[in-house]
Amino acid sequence: MTKNLVIAAALSLALTGGAMAADLPSTITFGSSMQLTGQDANLGRYYRDAYQLVIEQINKAGGVKIGGKSIPITLKLVDNQSDNNLAVRQYVGLVTQDKVDFLLGPYASGTTIPVSSVSEKYQIPMVEGGGASPQIFARGYKYIFGLLPPADDYFASTLTMLGQLQPKAHTVALVTADDAFDVSVAKGTKKLLAAAGMEIVLTQTYAAKTTDFSSIMAQIKAKTPDIVLWGGLEPEVLNAIRQAKSLDVNPKLLMSFTVGVPAADFRKALGNDANDAFGMTAWLPSPALKDTWFGDAEKFAAAYKAKYGYDPDYHGAAGAVAVETLVKAIEKAGSLEKSKVRDAIAASDFDSLYAHVKFNAGGQVVIPQIVIQIQNGQVTPIFTDKFIGKPVFPVPAWSKRG
Amino acid sequence: MNGRWFALAAAVALLAGVPWFGNAVLIQFGINALLIAVLAQSWNILGGFAGYVSFGNSVFYGLGSYGVAIAMAQWNLPFWVGLIFAATIAVAFAALLGWPILRLRGPYFAIVTLGISAAMSALASNLDIAGKNVGLILPLTRNDTLFYEASLVLLAAATLTVAWIARSRFGMALIAIREDEDAAASVGVNATRFKIAALAMAAFFTAIAGGIHAYWITYIDPAGSFDTTLDVRMVIMTMFGGPGTVLGPVVGALVLSAIYEVLADSISKAAALFFGIVILVAVIFLPRGLVDLGGGFRVLRWRYFLTNIRQYRI
Amino acid sequence: MLLVQILVNGVLLGGLYGLMALGMALVWGVLNIVNLAHGAFIMLGGYLVFFLFTAGLDPLVSLPIAMAVLFLFGYVIQRSLLNLIVRSALLNTLLFTFGLDVVLTYLAQLLFSADFRTINPSYAGANFSVGAVTVPVGRLIAFAIAVALALLLYLLLERTRLGRAIRATAQNLDAARLYGVNPAQIYAITFGIGAALAGAAGTLYGIVAQITPYIGVTLTPKSFVIAIIGGLDNPLRIVAGGIVIGVAEAVTSLYLGPTYTDVVSFGLLVLILVLRPAQSLKIA
Repeated sequence: MTKNLVIAAALSLALTGGAMAADLPSTITFGSSMQLTGQDANLGRYYRDAYQLVIEQINKAGGVKIGGKSIPITLKLVDNQSDNNLAVRQYVGLVTQDKVDFLLGPYASGTTIPVSSVSEKYQIPMVEGGGASPQIFARGYKYIFGLLPPADDYFASTLTMLGQLQPKAHTVALVTADDAFDVSVAKGTKKLLAAAGMEIVLTQTYAAKTTDFSSIMAQIKAKTPDIVLWGGLEPEVLNAIRQAKSLDVNPKLLMSFTVGVPAADFRKALGNDANDAFGMTAWLPSPALKDTWFGDAEKFAAAYKAKYGYDPDYHGAAGAVAVETLVKAIEKAGSLEKSKVRDAIAASDFDSLYAHVKFNAGGQVVIPQIVIQIQNGQVTPIFTDKFIGKPVFPVPAWSKRG
Repeated sequence: MNGRWFALAAAVALLAGVPWFGNAVLIQFGINALLIAVLAQSWNILGGFAGYVSFGNSVFYGLGSYGVAIAMAQWNLPFWVGLIFAATIAVAFAALLGWPILRLRGPYFAIVTLGISAAMSALASNLDIAGKNVGLILPLTRNDTLFYEASLVLLAAATLTVAWIARSRFGMALIAIREDEDAAASVGVNATRFKIAALAMAAFFTAIAGGIHAYWITYIDPAGSFDTTLDVRMVIMTMFGGPGTVLGPVVGALVLSAIYEVLADSISKAAALFFGIVILVAVIFLPRGLVDLGGGFRVLRWRYFLTNIRQYRI
Repeated sequence: MLLVQILVNGVLLGGLYGLMALGMALVWGVLNIVNLAHGAFIMLGGYLVFFLFTAGLDPLVSLPIAMAVLFLFGYVIQRSLLNLIVRSALLNTLLFTFGLDVVLTYLAQLLFSADFRTINPSYAGANFSVGAVTVPVGRLIAFAIAVALALLLYLLLERTRLGRAIRATAQNLDAARLYGVNPAQIYAITFGIGAALAGAAGTLYGIVAQITPYIGVTLTPKSFVIAIIGGLDNPLRIVAGGIVIGVAEAVTSLYLGPTYTDVVSFGLLVLILVLRPAQSLKIA
């Protein structure tokens, strides 16, 4: 695939002619080490697909406009096999050997934390859409920028929505994994629940990658909470839903999950059991999200689906805009100088297919979560700060579903 | 003999010079490869000489990582103090643990060590001081040369220790234990004491390797520190090179690391697959390791491989 | 009541754990091979049944198919490869199975992708109530099949000619040869049975959880622990070992918290090994 991109880059180069300014290179290279095999391969490929699609699109439009010239982008993407040590070595290789100009992130916080040290060490900006852990942004690093919003207020919009629905929710079971991201989900959610005046009747933290939740389910059932808020990774959420069904666990109003629900293979794996699950996404393919290269998010989603055969979710959108953020910043800086581009990224302020990109002091974007629900096998947007769809609420018990 | 020492000294000097003539990628690769070679060499002390196969040396690696990380991230102590702290807890842990577990033999020893490593990993993810499963962040240093040279010095120290063991009474005792523990005990070898000493030495070097790695990667968590794949890797590398020899584990670790790196670089997608195939082929054709190949091949030529198979097949 | 529900959950899951460990324990006991690829065999069984399921076949119908295919697979691996090195040190066979695990895992990733797959027949999510206790049907079926297969294996080992040959080979290779047993054949059959049991475990695992190429990473050590706790000589005790672990995890999760389950199950392993002298865990 990379080879094709190189060819595409070379072609567009030939078409634009040899009118390059002397100090500008013939191509700008973005480098990334991604989980294409190994434990995290399932989500890693979303980013690979997004990076490739958006770079193709930008090159079609001539590439990066800088100093009156158009320079195509080349992507140098390597597989880190979900091995953090290899990922670090590969990023060092991308920077020192392949001499890539800028870096795109890998997937997942656990990998982003160590590799962000490489970008900091070599002072080369890295924009990532794969890690939201506060540990990435609390270190005072200047060269790492993240497009996934902080974990603290993932459930904020869900709770606001519940405040406007009848019957009212009073009691909550809060279940979270013990990985960095979900620990901060738990912390933030507890604050939000206190502010909303809801009572937590059950708090459970489980070890990340757990597959059996039957004990937790039994406890939820015993406490009969109004709502269950669940923060975990996608495979855990899949298991949790199947086990909730098989143990007939029915909170009075709803169950909501931080991740998984918007993903295409979540619905594929669960089939009908995915229905009525509440979740959230920072992104929906809405025509209201205008984009420089794709027109809008809806068109991006269509192009993505056409190329890869599955619907993009926020991972893909964040990955795509990681590329766009770099391109916008290079164009604004009018140079390939790392520190100038870094400052331009920090000052980002533009609309994109993913969201309005503007980084906070730590280098992370703040985007509210949109409440979604699976209805008839489709992701249905329900609530932003107001209702944009009709929820199935309260969610019927498993025994009463089709 | 002198020629061999000279060649070795030249090889070490060459390795030590890498930060000055090698590129950054080679240094990064070197840090990883040298550290895993330390793990293989440490494993060799108990596993290769005494025949006690541990599948849980990652517990010392994890203790080393956490020792340094807790000292640096939680208590703001300098790196070298962290290393001392790390080595101390790992050696103490080995000494305390050695007594009950080194009575077990064969696969049971292997499994108990695996269990301890897994239990410690789970324990670390419940301890506040270890940052639970969220992990700990260490300060960033730009000094990769330091990491490289520290790893090299550590490997040299571990290898010199093993070279000493190979010619000492201590080493003889370990080999006697490997060949027939009961017979060794009957002629007055205090097997328990020797085994514990061997485990403690392994713990020492392994923990320091873990500590260096923690500072290098700047972030540790339980799964990455008490990494069971590391246990398998150190055993494989030792076996590949030649267990119970002085240079075998080092050769095995460096050669396999290099193969893995080349594969990861050239056929990215199928690298792990080919790595697995290399192991399969090596086990069948080189059951006594790479180091044995030199002598065996000189005598038997290509029949060496067939002889190996004939010897072990059923 | 909550405790009763938790115990029921633990027992049902424990049965499946026991089945996972069964094949590993058999191969270990008879061939003295600790099969690190056992989890990968379970994964292959899961995928096979998943693809048959998407083709419209009920997993309970596919279960014997998966067992047969895995038996053949195991037989061929042992006959053609593992028999070449079976008499070298335990370590060598260990390394070999590790290599095999890597190869199978990454082949699965290349062939099947890393998508999450679930085997989701209607009864997977069904349940019924006994008093205030909910019994999940999928897990009950898995439990019943696990116990049935353990019984079958027990009968096979104790009551048949093949079983006697297997046990004789486990105890003394040379003596077995004298009695006219072909050890190469017996080894391959035993390894095949081990793989077939993994295939069955994979089928049932796919019904209660999801399959990816990487599930072996956690399932192999789990099988390991249970094989040790149950001992290697009696299939029924291995299922009992699985139930012990299942219950221990469920109860730990209730009283200490779900993050402590691994501390307890691996701690239990260490304690049992240290306290029970190794001799009592005689091999087969």
